[in-house]
Amino acid sequence: MAATTDQGAHVKRVVLAGLIIAMSSAAFWAQDLSVPNRADSLKFAAIGDNGTGEQPEYDIGRQMDVWHRRFPFDMVIMLGDNIYGNQRPADFVQKFEKPFKPLLDAGVKFYASLGNHDNRANDAYLPFNMGGQRYYTFARNNARFFALDTNFLDPAQLNWTEHALKETTEPWKIAYFHHPLYSDGGRHGSEVDLRVRLEPLFTKYGVNVVYSGHDHIYERLKPQKGITYFVSGAGGELRQGDLRRSSLTAAGFDQDRSFMLNEIAGDDLFFQVVSRTGQTVDAGVVHREAEP
Amino acid sequence: MRRAWTCTADHYLVLPLGAAIAIVWANTYSASYFHVAQACAFAVNGVGMAFVLAYLMQEVIEAALPGGSLYSWRRTAVPIVAALGGTIGAIGAYLACIGAGDEDILVQGWPVVCAVDVVVSLAVARAIFRRGAAAHFLLVVAIVSDIVGLAVISNRALGLRGHPAAALLIVIAIGLAALLRRADRRSVWPYLLGPGVMSWFGCFWAGVHPALALMPVVPFLPHSARDLTNATNAQRVRHDQASHFESLFEWPVQVVVALFGFTNGGVLIRGFGTGTWAVLIASLAGRPLAMVTVIAAAIIAGLELPRAITWKDVVVIALATSPGLTFGVLFATAVFPDGPLLMETKMGAIASVAGVAVALAAARLLRVGRFVEVGDQSERALRRRPV
Repeated sequence: MAATTDQGAHVKRVVLAGLIIAMSSAAFWAQDLSVPNRADSLKFAAIGDNGTGEQPEYDIGRQMDVWHRRFPFDMVIMLGDNIYGNQRPADFVQKFEKPFKPLLDAGVKFYASLGNHDNRANDAYLPFNMGGQRYYTFARNNARFFALDTNFLDPAQLNWTEHALKETTEPWKIAYFHHPLYSDGGRHGSEVDLRVRLEPLFTKYGVNVVYSGHDHIYERLKPQKGITYFVSGAGGELRQGDLRRSSLTAAGFDQDRSFMLNEIAGDDLFFQVVSRTGQTVDAGVVHREAEP
Repeated sequence: MRRAWTCTADHYLVLPLGAAIAIVWANTYSASYFHVAQACAFAVNGVGMAFVLAYLMQEVIEAALPGGSLYSWRRTAVPIVAALGGTIGAIGAYLACIGAGDEDILVQGWPVVCAVDVVVSLAVARAIFRRGAAAHFLLVVAIVSDIVGLAVISNRALGLRGHPAAALLIVIAIGLAALLRRADRRSVWPYLLGPGVMSWFGCFWAGVHPALALMPVVPFLPHSARDLTNATNAQRVRHDQASHFESLFEWPVQVVVALFGFTNGGVLIRGFGTGTWAVLIASLAGRPLAMVTVIAAAIIAGLELPRAITWKDVVVIALATSPGLTFGVLFATAVFPDGPLLMETKMGAIASVAGVAVALAAARLLRVGRFVEVGDQSERALRRRPV
């Protein structure tokens, strides 16, 4: 008799657990995927200031893996401060390889840019795909990416950037680097001296979208001179409540860690910003105007 | 009016004025400030500053002539050792600060802390010690520290692709200047237009910071001995001759210094970071501590302090060499391109002017220099008071 009661309680527990899992899954799948997720589009994620090796970074890694199953991006652009603190081989495991193991195992490629906390020699770390260069360019589908090193924007790099932009034939030109040209982050804010150097090149050669980190928040700025700027520097670090909204702010989130999902389909770049808990905190589309 | 201008010129007050305008502008209409500042940067830092450094070097060379205030190497042995020790201490403190964090990229900014602002040090020396051995001591420390810094940054001119063969032009320029000197040319123009221009292009093409271009030529310019701490009327007359570099460039140098303060001083208030603290700690703590330690070691090893200098003076002198200011900013622009690292280190160099207040406070506390009299007077007054 006692055994029958135990068995009944066990069955109830299993059913309850099943219900909870089913409800959680349903809740997750019910979360809107705001990007169209087309078969032939270019899909990529963006993270910045992630390399802490602490629990929030692992949470972001897990969340990215979860979303990757629904939205199979094949690359991630890293916006700098990829490894904080010590930069020994064990740190690369603890602060990068472990948190993003599921993505790395799934063949997702990471393309890093260097932040102020990154060692310059990290450009030789193979999983960052920098090819031993602190600034470099690569193309995917109809987009060309420019990873710059804003720690050290010397004349040689500026010349290289202008030349590379000039030679670009892809319709989408996307630049990413650590220090934001526009930001309403309270701690750092806009790097105006860099803006004066880079913005004329970006406008002259038709850069469409710019991604940066450094301020540990998420912010989307209203297009400036035809360019959409994103600050996504809360991939591991967070400066809670640091966003000082201004007339330039289009959207922002400074309450938790976050990362970005992006999809380029034709002349549209769709984006969705996801928090550590899986909530969508911003989404939208950037339409590329045809070049004159 | 004349007196006000002399005071402004002697203390290079146009520099903080230019920097103050820049800071206000940079923090209100940032983009327009950086557009203007970056457009002026090469002309001011690469061309104008060549004249300022030449002007300062001319003063130092004349002070080292017989009859000048720095004449005789025996007088300068301890301060030279102190300068080298202080510089090593500042570099060590800077590297220790950077090493304690994780922004290794700032390591290459160590030349910034070699800087001691000669002008500010001179002003502090005059304010505390008036004339005398302590002022000379402080001046030698400042000059030697900057020579080390200039030597370090000489091959770090950003954006210049070095063609070592172009250094030959500098050698030819020195030879030409020597020939002009041998021919006893008393006007500075042949020196500037011939060897000066040649040396500038030599530096530029060789990848050497062009602000250093006139320094190899200056030793050959017409000279007359001087006292750096307090120019006498006789000296002023000699230096007012139309052929003299100082009289020709007195005004232009002030304009360049103001523009230098304006072009490089515009830091964003929130642009501070690890580099700022590292430069500040190195300047305010690393350099003075190391300097006092090295002087103590030098005395133990057998060298002697100049007769009129006490240990209290040494402490104040060490603190008075903290401000890197102009030279710190110049060195920073040589090692970092425009961007956050330059901003951080420039802010540290500018903030190191706090060393002036620290030195004055220490002088007052230790009753050194002019404050000896204050102390003595109040003591005398106390004694006179009826019990």
